[in-house]
Amino acid sequence: MTDRGTARVHTATVVGTHAVPVAVEVDVGPGLPSFIVVGLGDTAVLESRDRVRAAVRASGFAFPSARVVVNLAPAPLRKHGTGFDLPIAAAILAATRQVPPAAVEGHLVGELSLDGRVRAIPGVLAHALAARDASHTLVLAQESVRNALVVAGLDVCGMHDLSQLRDGVDRSSTVSGGPHRTALPEPGLEPDLSDIAGHAIAKRALEIAAAGAHNILFVGPPGSGKTMLASRLGPLLPPLSDTERLEVAVVHDVAGLDPMPALEGRRPYRAPHHSCSLSGLVGGGTPLRPGEISLAHTGVLFLDELPEFGPAALQALRQPLEDGYISLVRAEGRTRFPARFSLVASANPCPCGFHGDPTRLCECAAAQIRRYRTRIGGPLMDRIDMRLRVDRVDPELLVRSSNAEDSHAVRQRVLEARERARLDGRGASSALRGTDLLDACRLEPDTRDRLAAQARALHLSGRSVTRLLRVARTIADLEGADAVSTEVLYEAIGYRGSET
Amino acid sequence: MDQRHEIPIDDERYPQALRQIPDAPKVLYCLGDPAHLDPGLAVIGSRKATPYGLGATRLFAGWAASQRVTIISGAAIGCDQEAHRSALAVNGSTVAVMGCGADVDYPSGASDLLDRIRRVGAVVSEVPWGTRPQRWLFPRRNRLIAGLSSAVLVVEASLPSGTFNTADYALDYDRQVLAVPGSIFAPECRGSNRLLSQGATPISDVTELGLALGIGSIEQLVMTADPAAEDSEHPLLAALLSNPMRPDDAARELGLHIVEVSRLLGRYESAGVLGRYPDGRYGPCVTMRQAIQSLHDEQPTCESP
Repeated sequence: MTDRGTARVHTATVVGTHAVPVAVEVDVGPGLPSFIVVGLGDTAVLESRDRVRAAVRASGFAFPSARVVVNLAPAPLRKHGTGFDLPIAAAILAATRQVPPAAVEGHLVGELSLDGRVRAIPGVLAHALAARDASHTLVLAQESVRNALVVAGLDVCGMHDLSQLRDGVDRSSTVSGGPHRTALPEPGLEPDLSDIAGHAIAKRALEIAAAGAHNILFVGPPGSGKTMLASRLGPLLPPLSDTERLEVAVVHDVAGLDPMPALEGRRPYRAPHHSCSLSGLVGGGTPLRPGEISLAHTGVLFLDELPEFGPAALQALRQPLEDGYISLVRAEGRTRFPARFSLVASANPCPCGFHGDPTRLCECAAAQIRRYRTRIGGPLMDRIDMRLRVDRVDPELLVRSSNAEDSHAVRQRVLEARERARLDGRGASSALRGTDLLDACRLEPDTRDRLAAQARALHLSGRSVTRLLRVARTIADLEGADAVSTEVLYEAIGYRGSET
Repeated sequence: MDQRHEIPIDDERYPQALRQIPDAPKVLYCLGDPAHLDPGLAVIGSRKATPYGLGATRLFAGWAASQRVTIISGAAIGCDQEAHRSALAVNGSTVAVMGCGADVDYPSGASDLLDRIRRVGAVVSEVPWGTRPQRWLFPRRNRLIAGLSSAVLVVEASLPSGTFNTADYALDYDRQVLAVPGSIFAPECRGSNRLLSQGATPISDVTELGLALGIGSIEQLVMTADPAAEDSEHPLLAALLSNPMRPDDAARELGLHIVEVSRLLGRYESAGVLGRYPDGRYGPCVTMRQAIQSLHDEQPTCESP
């Protein structure tokens, strides 16, 4: 051991969903014994000094009694989390020649226990991607190796405790990563549509929504089954591609959630309560964490009792619904989180919830009802293509055995519809606009006349007609029709909701 | 153009019918022409009116107004406002009785309508100009609606309903109480159907209304559904006309596939034959024969609930 020396170890800090490379530079030199960490670390990073000192001693190494300066470069970038423990300790050990230089090569990340054990940290996948991009071997806690291995083209080395560095960490334990597609099971289709009795039109609406990526609003009294229906949309959606699986897994991992379901191809289903804070919903905080909308990326976001979410939250949903991501701005810059989700929302028909219920009388004044209906707001409603009424099913029906279709059969039709759209050179119908939408519908002249008459008769606004055509285009895809026919328009009208 | 009239009870313009009721107002505040205050047909109903209720209101108030009967109502949203509008649409006479000052616009959405009524009909109140609406003034105003009329027609009422209050006054003042029957499965008609079982006169077409009011020349200016036309239509239509249902329930009852039902409903709704109620059920609305006729001609009407 020497009490002079320098070393550098590579690691990263997570910003948003990316791990930005950070170099841990250590200088051990003359002066009164001190241990300083510079480079805008947060409280957890500053606390690493105590953990590192204890872990180094517990692993049988000596902590230098000299001036130890650690710089986390680039210095102006804010650093977060406990993952710097391992790289800092490794750099100090290398600087004081207690371990060979080769022992600290690669991308090191991990928290240290006071007894020297290496612990897992969130954001493993982000680190894995950063290591892969820099062609470094990823060195981290043994328990995180499995998740890191899904990244293709990456070498991973697991560590149990700090003392393993003495012998240069047995690099023969390094494993190569790659998505073990065949090893990971296809996700099951639960919860299944066949669990639900009745609700024929709501199930048909889910099929259409899945085929065309439409957002849905269910309006109905409490206990009518809106939540049950919402949770059954996800399994109807096409399987996730490898890129999407990784994308979703990274977001979940960064948020401290288990990335395995996403890696297995299961689309997320998030159902935050309406008392959720704004930053909990869209993301925020310091350090920036993904919100529910990002955790729902590629999956389903269910907002039960949408009018109760508060104007700020409702407004905040507009950008992600439009663009598929959310930009969060902080003093240090702008970070983007992915947020392309299918929205399923539910609402009561009136403040007391029972307007139109055959068994209970609604006690709301008509003016109250009108006010309640406008709470969601035009711009957000405009992004919800399908709206329908959901009522409680007669209990008698629940008892009768149902030969309801299962999700597998419905999903087949959804996949075929999406394939037809793809072959026609289109993406999901919900994204079609303007002339693209009209062209895609290929309306015959008398269908076009019929549409105009419908718009007059039912007082449809231009926006309603746009939404109507999108839904109609999806229904036509489900039928395998090139053109949208009058019959299809008739079905699509049923999903327009009340004009407010 | 403010035709303000303060009419004390002994004035010759004070409506005779109203003078007879116990506790008649000492002064009537009238904006418009007091000549309209002759005995008329009060048309009242639920604020949360369904397309059926609005259609029935339009039918009966419109027809009566075209027969020179003054239509009296309370300018509340729903059936009341529809009654006033239907009378105005045929250039008939209409009176709005307010639970606030006659110069105050209540409810707020009714300003335009009330202005029109003030110009071509009359808006009256027993409380002074400028009085803001108060809860307790409305039952009081209902007695005026009953008092000013020779008959009270309840178009659609659920249980409980404010129309019962008016109907009670009508009975006290010896006015006729008429009610439009509704589906026995419909909660929104429970009140009006209850009135029928308590002895109100059922009114299911204009002939009966004419007979009840003693109006001559019974011409069926507006027709009711023609059974022959209905038979050639899909059984779904007949089923929903007699018993409004939601698509799921209709599909199950008739053993049809939900997609087929959806498309038929869209067709009938576009044609104006069926209306979609706020609770999601589909049922009758407006002038059905006219709509069914145009359905055959495959030219949708522009009429809509």
